[in-house]
Amino acid sequence: MELVTLVRLEGVAKHVLLPDDTRLDILRSVDLAVAAGDHVAIVGRSGSGKSTLLNLLGMLDSPSEGAVWFHGEPVRKMRRGKLDRLRGRNVGFVFQQFNLLAGRTALENVEMPLGYASGRAFWTRRAAATRMLERVGLGHRLESTPEQLSGGEQQRVAIARALVRRPALILADEPTGALDVETGGSVMELLDDIASEADAALVTITHDLHVAARARRHYRLEAGVLTEFDLGATAGETAGAPELAESVDEPTAEGAALADARADAGDAASVRPSSRAEHAEPAEVAS
Amino acid sequence: MSGLVGALGEAWSELRHHKLRVLLSLIGIAVSVGALTAVVALSEYQQQQMEEQSDQSGGRPATVSISVSRTDGAPMDWDAFDAHVAQVSERYSFDYLTRIVDPVPLQVQTPEQVRPVNARLVDPAYPVIHRTPLLEGRWFQEADAELLAPPVVISEALWDVYGRPDLGAGFALRTTGDTAGTYPVIGVTPRQYNGDEEKRITMMFDSYAARLDALPADVMVMYEVWVPEDGVAELGPVLAADLRAGLDDSTEVSVMRTDWASRPDAQSSMAVFELVTGGIAALVLLLGGLGLVNIQLVAMRQRIREIGVRRSFGATQGRIFTSVLLESVVATAVAGVVGIAIAVAVLKAPFVMDMFSAMQDIPPFPVRAAVTGLVAAVAIGALAGFIPALMAVRSNVIDALRF
Repeated sequence: MELVTLVRLEGVAKHVLLPDDTRLDILRSVDLAVAAGDHVAIVGRSGSGKSTLLNLLGMLDSPSEGAVWFHGEPVRKMRRGKLDRLRGRNVGFVFQQFNLLAGRTALENVEMPLGYASGRAFWTRRAAATRMLERVGLGHRLESTPEQLSGGEQQRVAIARALVRRPALILADEPTGALDVETGGSVMELLDDIASEADAALVTITHDLHVAARARRHYRLEAGVLTEFDLGATAGETAGAPELAESVDEPTAEGAALADARADAGDAASVRPSSRAEHAEPAEVAS
Repeated sequence: MSGLVGALGEAWSELRHHKLRVLLSLIGIAVSVGALTAVVALSEYQQQQMEEQSDQSGGRPATVSISVSRTDGAPMDWDAFDAHVAQVSERYSFDYLTRIVDPVPLQVQTPEQVRPVNARLVDPAYPVIHRTPLLEGRWFQEADAELLAPPVVISEALWDVYGRPDLGAGFALRTTGDTAGTYPVIGVTPRQYNGDEEKRITMMFDSYAARLDALPADVMVMYEVWVPEDGVAELGPVLAADLRAGLDDSTEVSVMRTDWASRPDAQSSMAVFELVTGGIAALVLLLGGLGLVNIQLVAMRQRIREIGVRRSFGATQGRIFTSVLLESVVATAVAGVVGIAIAVAVLKAPFVMDMFSAMQDIPPFPVRAAVTGLVAAVAIGALAGFIPALMAVRSNVIDALRF
């Protein structure tokens, strides 16, 4: 069955001007098409441009060069208000740090995206949010605030929030980054299941190859260049995925320049003296 | 529709979530709105009291005074002129017309001695036109003129001379001289100010005239008529012309307005009072608003990530702007309602009402004051919310999510 393209990036580049007037290329000539029901994983080190790519896919950012198409429409030509509404209707975000609204109950958090809907979806938002929280197994924690929930529960609330408007595209930015391995696994399983139920496309950005392994297609982002690779073949040659994940997440000078908040102590500890050439393919890294 | 409801709901939810911050920031607003409302209301009470006091001397708006005199020094034929005025006023169908003769000396028997007391001769319309208050008893009725013992109303100071006897127990004054007789006291007028010792009798004009063949030549009869304020400017000259018609050249008729509303200085002094006190309250409100802007700006810096999250889930810039603006507007509107409630409670408090005890027609809490307070609250909310709303809109979504 041929998949209908949902979002397409054509020759997308993104660069910023640094204070010393030098240009920093974050993304270079990226081509990517995500279809409805697709599941794509993008792996890359901190500062490799993963979040920028996700922002472009989610229409939060605009490219310096190239074009982004959503539902066959060029995003560049859309007015800001229309773009916001389009994003609200079609895109659900899951963040690494959950980004739940502090002090608001789980129900209020999940209701929030429906507050920007109209018609029936707006007026029945409470019931829809309740159903979604029940679906993620939090029907008994409706009135709990994020402060009263564990990390795994918070991420489940975030997943419920991302999916409550039945988006066509779910963008998950390191969804298990703040969770332990076991909790991360169950959260990803839930995300996969719900995305499949809703026939939504799921794009996951991760440095965890266990998480990436759940996707059908795998991309690697390095120095702003996106390349597809076969994780199945790579994993067969890899002795241990965790080590591989560590090396994928090695910080770079670009990462420091972008002050990526996600670089944590664990990432820093994993830095190994290795050249970029060694990271050309995960298999090479592990070898 | 759902957009507005959603924005309002978001604003309300935000206020509920930050109760303490909102409460602290709004105390100033509530107090200043209360002050502004109270100032406007007090100003109206004050105006009402001043009007009533002015009415007591100059008559209600519009009171037209008619006086007549002779330029040739000859005695005035009051009976003839009275008949003339009656004839003219019949054409105008005046509802409230009174003759006034003030003063008329009487010799009154008090417990200690016979003493001279000034009397004022009026018609039953007089206390209506002049809002003359009563401490006890009642005013005259038309039928009182037929009574053989003409009723009188006395001042409180004169009542004190007799030891404040009960009016219902047949208390009457005795006079000597031309008008000797017994005059039942039917009412007592209160002192107009502390230490008011004026001893005065108010008597019906017809009752007095019936006891004499003719009015003394040295008295001066004035007429007052209470007419609608609308057409008084046109009525005055026409009435004057009608009254002058048929009189000889030596009789001079003067027609003039005597009520307070005919004096622009009274109105302008009220306007100045309201302007000064209102200005102070507005300044307090502005300071409260500045405090609110400050708090909202600090709060907005803390909420920048939340704004980013909302934007990523489809909130348009307009929606974010409206929500943040409405937060301030809803908050200050609530504070405004609280302020107005405080103002109403204060104005209805016994100690405030005591200040206006002389007021006969206590006006209801003025709607103008409540509307002014609420409009001021909403306006200051919009003003205080505008800058944070602008800040929220201008924040970059990506930076906000990284924040």
